[in-house]
Amino acid sequence: MMTSAILCMAISSCTKDKTDYKAEIDTAVTEHLQFKEAARFVKDGYTIRINTLNGTFYKGYNEVRVTLEQGSSAVQPEEVYCLPIFTDAQAQQTTGPHGYKLQQQVDSGYFSSYIVFTEESQVGGEWQLYMRFSIGGTTYRLNEPVQVVQQANKNLNMTRFTGSDGELYVIALISPQKPRIAENQLVAGIYRFNRAIGTPAPAEFPDPEQFSYEVVQGYTLKLDPRMPEPSMGNHSSPNNEDLNQRDDGRYYGVVNYTMTGNWTLNFILLNQLGEAVKGTVVPNDFTPGVNGVKSELYLDILF
Amino acid sequence: MKMNAVAIVPLLFVSLVPLCLRGQAVEKDSTRYIEEVRVQGKGKRKMETPLKMTISVDEFLASSQHISFIKRGAYAWEPLLNNMGSERSNLTIDGMHIFGACTDKMDPITSYVESNNLATIEINLGQAGSMHGATVAGGIDLKRRNTAFAAAKTWSGAYQTGMEANNKQFFNLGNVAYADQRFVAEGSFSVRKAGNYSDGNGATVRHSQYNKFNSSVGLAYKTSEQSSLRLDAIFDRAKDVGFPALPMDLWLSRAIITSATYKQLFEAGLVKAWESKVYYNAIEHYMDDTTRPENLVHMDMPGWSTTYGLLSKLTLQRERYASDIQINAFENVSIAEMRMYPQDRSRQTMFAYSWPWVTTRYGGLSMNNSWAFSEISQIHFGGSLGLHENYSKYIEFNRIFHPGASQNKTRVLPSLHTRYELQVKDFLLEAGLGYGHRAPSVSEGYGYYIYNSFDRYDYIGNPDLRNEVSYEGNARISYRKEKFNVDAQANYFHIRHYIIGRILGLGSPMNYQSVGVKGYTSLRYARLFNVSVKGDYTISKHLHWNGILTYARAQDDNGGNLPFIRPLSYQTALHYGHGPFGLQTAVNGDFLHRNYSPEFGEDQTPAYTIWNISADYSFALMKWKGNLQVGAENIFDAYYSTYADWGNIPRMGRNVFASLRISF
Repeated sequence: MMTSAILCMAISSCTKDKTDYKAEIDTAVTEHLQFKEAARFVKDGYTIRINTLNGTFYKGYNEVRVTLEQGSSAVQPEEVYCLPIFTDAQAQQTTGPHGYKLQQQVDSGYFSSYIVFTEESQVGGEWQLYMRFSIGGTTYRLNEPVQVVQQANKNLNMTRFTGSDGELYVIALISPQKPRIAENQLVAGIYRFNRAIGTPAPAEFPDPEQFSYEVVQGYTLKLDPRMPEPSMGNHSSPNNEDLNQRDDGRYYGVVNYTMTGNWTLNFILLNQLGEAVKGTVVPNDFTPGVNGVKSELYLDILF
Repeated sequence: MKMNAVAIVPLLFVSLVPLCLRGQAVEKDSTRYIEEVRVQGKGKRKMETPLKMTISVDEFLASSQHISFIKRGAYAWEPLLNNMGSERSNLTIDGMHIFGACTDKMDPITSYVESNNLATIEINLGQAGSMHGATVAGGIDLKRRNTAFAAAKTWSGAYQTGMEANNKQFFNLGNVAYADQRFVAEGSFSVRKAGNYSDGNGATVRHSQYNKFNSSVGLAYKTSEQSSLRLDAIFDRAKDVGFPALPMDLWLSRAIITSATYKQLFEAGLVKAWESKVYYNAIEHYMDDTTRPENLVHMDMPGWSTTYGLLSKLTLQRERYASDIQINAFENVSIAEMRMYPQDRSRQTMFAYSWPWVTTRYGGLSMNNSWAFSEISQIHFGGSLGLHENYSKYIEFNRIFHPGASQNKTRVLPSLHTRYELQVKDFLLEAGLGYGHRAPSVSEGYGYYIYNSFDRYDYIGNPDLRNEVSYEGNARISYRKEKFNVDAQANYFHIRHYIIGRILGLGSPMNYQSVGVKGYTSLRYARLFNVSVKGDYTISKHLHWNGILTYARAQDDNGGNLPFIRPLSYQTALHYGHGPFGLQTAVNGDFLHRNYSPEFGEDQTPAYTIWNISADYSFALMKWKGNLQVGAENIFDAYYSTYADWGNIPRMGRNVFASLRISF
């Protein structure tokens, strides 16, 4: 009797449940892996579909995939262009980093590019996509408003700043969407605004030359990840690697997250000559009890 | 049980009675063995010391000259064998492997048993302790109480109650056993509850309370004239246990330890006995700091450890040759988590594994032989060969510090040992050699930000650490005359790839009290030397004396001191017995801790001397036997802490205790 009673106690589950590690990371981060339709426009009998992850345009980096249909059959345009324009309450027009000409993905049957939306859609602030595509020598143009919403996943955060060289830069996180307590490959896009020459003339279709960013070439993004909460004392992690550019134009580095929670990616952006464009060194001191010091260039993430 | 074991703790007690265990012809020895298999443990040794009859397992172990302790409070001391920590020794219960579930070693397996469900504790030093698995320091096997089958229906039992004044500890322990020709049933329970203790200055040491419940059952059935089946279970629960030297306490721990044993004896032939056991044990251990509102960061540290295993042992004996051959296999999964809470509780908590689901599998064959090739000399030799595998489910944690670390790691763990014994008149001379490997422990291999409040570093394991390789030599000389006995032992370990934490130039602390990060690394070698002298003297029929002197020295490959090495220390006791009355007094202490290790957070601990005294009275109460004891420990209320007390937490001041035992 006693034995069986004890065995029952033993076999019955533990007093406290073990943490479900997968669910633990899922609580802070929802990972979107499916491309879904975010917008559909119709122009002269052609249907243009724009697919993004989770079918939503988010502030920050978005990969966009565009397909065209005529009736129910797919058509392959020769070229597709897309220019996002943000118009604020003062009717000032700006853009975000984007690939103006979409790349044809022959195997997958779509055209792809990226758009970094630098603002969320709001009252008095609206995003429009100006698209241009050619089929059989005929060029079609359209412009349609789109809704850009907040990116709830801080791992896809972005920042826009003016560097010491007076230029306007954008750094947008591309990957990982869902970090792990591990070595994570960190991918970011780094862009510089190409100053408009003169004032853009009002036009039905804006001049893309007046609204462009370029991928900065050969810069280095120095990385120092920290946990800035007072309880963590600006804890850091070992074996991180600064972000350097690869052939695809993006910047790749390694970030080690030692536990879940709030992290700050402290950056120093260096140009080709190794001169700091933005960012400051974070002291190595372990400072429990106070908010951790951050670089003047940083992104907060949470997982 | 053959007495080739180098040391059996109760010798200390039993040696008062002239009992010449050593130097007996092997033939005699193994006859005793066979007897003992049948009448195991019946009134053979007692889990008590001369000074105190109702003691904790820790206090009992402390009476051995080979054991010292790291103490983080009043509860669950970590036993050090030959001045080496528990990862270097084989801690087993009846040969069963059990692994604590606390990353901070706050639950050595000695904390999951109780003195009234143990018969004795067997200690084998160095590679001679490799019977149950690979080791460097030796083996500590806790032998469970095991009532023998009886010719007639027999009931026996005992009840102990008492209190200790200093920490208002009250304890009640009971055990009862029924035996007949075919069947044995026995059970025990114990309840101990203690408050905070006071140090020698009368100051309360906060967070030193504990509350422990332990129970055990055993059922044995004689399946034939020569065979039996036995089922055992121990359940242990500790609650609200304070650790004054740590920033957190134990909210709850529970352990269930179960086994089924089949034993077959053989009358004739080379094989005398065959014993096989399957076992399962599970431990859950929940540390948190809800009782420490002063902490900046609230933190939970739950841990789980589950082990399945089997062992099968053949006992062989022919003329002057005797041998034990044993197969050991086990699988353990160790999991430990930490969760930190930000000041703003509405925000996301911070989580990581401190043991990222680490599986350890071991399978090995061990052998111990003894051959008495003449009337005065015998040789013991043996060894083991084991295959040890680790698997870390979340290896990405370990790869943060050790990129590319292997998820699976298989190791071969060989062991060899030999010892020669020579009896020359009243002298017994022994000399031995040993060689063996051990695998890194789960913490050493896979630990992740394990905060050590002694040196205040966070520790990181390395999955690809090399095996620790021990070369050992030992010698012993003992002299025994009717009334006088002196026994001197020494051993020396040269340990290659000695595993120890060294400051890493990487990373930063995670725990807010920590000052940095240390990684487990291998030294080229370390050397340890232990020596002890033990003596007893029967001064008169009523008066006995005994004493122990121990010394140890240990250095790393740069001549620096290793931590937790006991300085010169002594225990001595005088026992006066007359009829039903007994009176004993004991003095123990350490000399100045000269060879301390500042690198590991040690400072110089001054010498101390503690004086204890107790008196007991035995009486008969109808058919029952009673013992009444009163005494006091640290009667001069000395304020002291030992070299191995974390954070120099002071030990208990004067403690008056009283206990009563009724047995039938």
